[in-house]
Amino acid sequence: MKILTTVKRVEDYESKIKVRPDQTWIVTEGVNYRANPFDEIAVEEALRLRDANMPSEVVVVSVGPAAAATEIRSGLAMGADRGILVKHDAFVDSDGVARLLQKVIEQEKPDLVLMGKQAVDVDDNVAGQLVAEYLGWGQATFASKKESLESPEEKAKKPGLKLSADKKSVQAAREVDGGLEVLEVQLPAIVTVDLRLNVPRYASLPNIMKAKKKPIQELTPQGLSVDVTPKVKVLKVEPPPARTAGIKVPDVATLVQKLHAEAKVI
Amino acid sequence: MANPLFSDREVSFQLYEVHGAGDLCQLPAFADHGRETFDLFLASARKIARDVLFPAYRPMDAEPPRLEGGRVRVHPAMKEIWPRLVELGMTNATRPSEVGGQELPVLVAMFAGGYLSAANGAATAYAGLTAGAAHLVEAFGSEEVRRTFHEPMISGRWSGTMALTEPHAGSSLADVRTTATPMPAGPGRYLLRGNKVFISGGDQDFTENIVHLALGRIEGAPAGIKGISLFAVPRLRPEDGRLVDNDCSSAGVFHKMGWRGIPSIALNFGERGDCVGWVVGTPHQGLGHMFQMMNEARLMVGMNGVATASAAYHESLEYARTRPQGRPLAARDPRTPQIPIVEHADVRRMLLKQKAIVEGGLSLLAECARLADLVRHGPEEDRERRRMLLDLLTPVGKSFPAEAGFVSNSLAVQIHGGYGYTAEYLPEAWLRDQKLNSIHEGTTGIQSLDLLGRKVVAGGGDALRALAAEFAAVEATNEERAGLRAALEKIAATTMELAQRGLAGDRDGMLAHSVDYLDAFSVLVISWQWAKMAAAARRGLERDRASADFYRGKIAAARWFFANELPRVSTLCDICLTDASFVEARPEWF
Repeated sequence: MKILTTVKRVEDYESKIKVRPDQTWIVTEGVNYRANPFDEIAVEEALRLRDANMPSEVVVVSVGPAAAATEIRSGLAMGADRGILVKHDAFVDSDGVARLLQKVIEQEKPDLVLMGKQAVDVDDNVAGQLVAEYLGWGQATFASKKESLESPEEKAKKPGLKLSADKKSVQAAREVDGGLEVLEVQLPAIVTVDLRLNVPRYASLPNIMKAKKKPIQELTPQGLSVDVTPKVKVLKVEPPPARTAGIKVPDVATLVQKLHAEAKVI
Repeated sequence: MANPLFSDREVSFQLYEVHGAGDLCQLPAFADHGRETFDLFLASARKIARDVLFPAYRPMDAEPPRLEGGRVRVHPAMKEIWPRLVELGMTNATRPSEVGGQELPVLVAMFAGGYLSAANGAATAYAGLTAGAAHLVEAFGSEEVRRTFHEPMISGRWSGTMALTEPHAGSSLADVRTTATPMPAGPGRYLLRGNKVFISGGDQDFTENIVHLALGRIEGAPAGIKGISLFAVPRLRPEDGRLVDNDCSSAGVFHKMGWRGIPSIALNFGERGDCVGWVVGTPHQGLGHMFQMMNEARLMVGMNGVATASAAYHESLEYARTRPQGRPLAARDPRTPQIPIVEHADVRRMLLKQKAIVEGGLSLLAECARLADLVRHGPEEDRERRRMLLDLLTPVGKSFPAEAGFVSNSLAVQIHGGYGYTAEYLPEAWLRDQKLNSIHEGTTGIQSLDLLGRKVVAGGGDALRALAAEFAAVEATNEERAGLRAALEKIAATTMELAQRGLAGDRDGMLAHSVDYLDAFSVLVISWQWAKMAAAARRGLERDRASADFYRGKIAAARWFFANELPRVSTLCDICLTDASFVEARPEWF
């Protein structure tokens, strides 16, 4: 089977993020980048499904500047087979990304597309749903593992997604209020993954060396005939409000009164 | 903010802006590598360090290994950690592909090891010891020895140790007594009998087997170091496709002040007369073979010293930035809010001193690692000169991080104040860990004798001249240049005089102050590293304004080292030549 996964190049959450003085975006100089952590979980799941269903192939796709090849390479170093970079330097909104992915998926014809449920840079959580809509495919979002991440299943690196025996559908458990909901979707389908689906592997040195020789194909929005002019306009970027100083209250009664009257939490 | 263990910006600065990791890829041996592979490898190493090793550090320190029913049980976290270290490639990353390695430059492997050591030095040591043991087997073992021991070690099924020390023979390896009797069963096999102590990782329960690379004496061998042979002694020996008990018993676990995640064992070989050892390399030349592993191990110990100081430096830096206490000296109005302690000049003094030690030591180890790469794979015509430099710098690379690192670790405790003295905070644990680094793999005293008695006088001063040429290549400021030149001349003159005393037969007069000499020499070498880093920082300031704070910090630390440390060279040199107080003091005077 063929599995396509997406990897977005995002700001490393351990970098110090500052807003530009003109509030149009963040300061990008001196910021470190990494693969979106949700996407690493998608790649891990794809690798586990591949290894349990040989022969199979895992393709890693990214949309972004030339530097995003680094994040594709990190997916290849985890064990994916080849990469595709849709190269575009300017900002692409989620709709643009979804339309690009639609074209790539139509070309590649994978059986399953695995995506992070959202990217940790802007937290939109829409690209996966849009791709499914544009393709007219089924979708299962926020896939989690039924078992815990400390379970024997996870230790044995078992996939959290359950492929049916005839490989025509896949079951995904998703966290909902008060429990887990299990969905079954017909393949081909889009599955977006949540944090508790698996623990992604570390790229080992032998696999890093192998990744160097794996191909990364470059495409462009023009080549795919997709207009990526943003439909979403960023009006203003603001840092979260600075934490204000706390206060000391003399007794429990005052605390309860303030929580009720001022904070309105009880 | 979580402790980063090492700053990623610092690592990339040292690798790519100071020590030319990128240039190494132009050598044929490293042609398969590039910045991309280095960065992916470092990213994996730092993730494993931060996510897997560091969270296990405190629990492993709190629950040291126990001896139960003749076997050692280590902390269960090692069962999770060990496969990660092996997968990452820590048992053979720098070895060629013919023997299953990836030919990673030692320079890059050193930094990856730095993250891991800073996260959990004890856990990392198992992999370092195994890599060293496998390398010895690969380099000197017969076909049979390699086939039996190499693959199981690099694949992580078996671990390796170095078993040198005996109860009466620590620094003095010439006195090793473990005996080896040739077996009729086959050439190269011997029956071993003897006792070893302080064997790190000498027993554990997370691999199927353990291979001790042990020193012993074949019956009838000459006395002294020329009669010592090297053996591979497995805990279980392969026999007819099975592993059977090889009569290596754990006699006890030492209770240590630090490094409590890895046991230090007393081992008995051949209590029942059934302990088989395979000779590795040429009989009677075992110590020479072992020195290959020891030189690598010395740099690894140096890296652990830097790493242990680095983790504590970052811990105290975060504490100083977030702990409000007191007010500016000029504004003591109690109604004003307290300020974070980093605002106090004395706290910044302690932070800058730690930074100067940690980053100066790191840079020296990077220098040594790059030399090791070039000695092996660089242009033929430069190899001899670089070998000489590496030999000269190795005792400094081993001892400076241990000695100055202990001072640095102590400052991290100091910055935490009363809390720093409690077990609630980590700096006390790192201070305990650091102490070992001036003792194992050759004490500071042994390193100083190696430097002054052997390395610096080798080739009639050629090594020192090669070092002077390296100094001249740095784009230093006039002030730095003058400081380095004066210190180097002082050391050269002192070396000359001490060497003459030695030639005249006055060994005490030459070597009694060897540790002070090592101290002076270390300050000179680290000043050189700071001049290199300051030059790179000045270039960086021109090019990359977004990193201006980083580069200004570099230049400030270089200034600190030149102002506070370099002047000590002159005093120390005078002491080496003039002070005979303890040489003349009699034991009964104390």
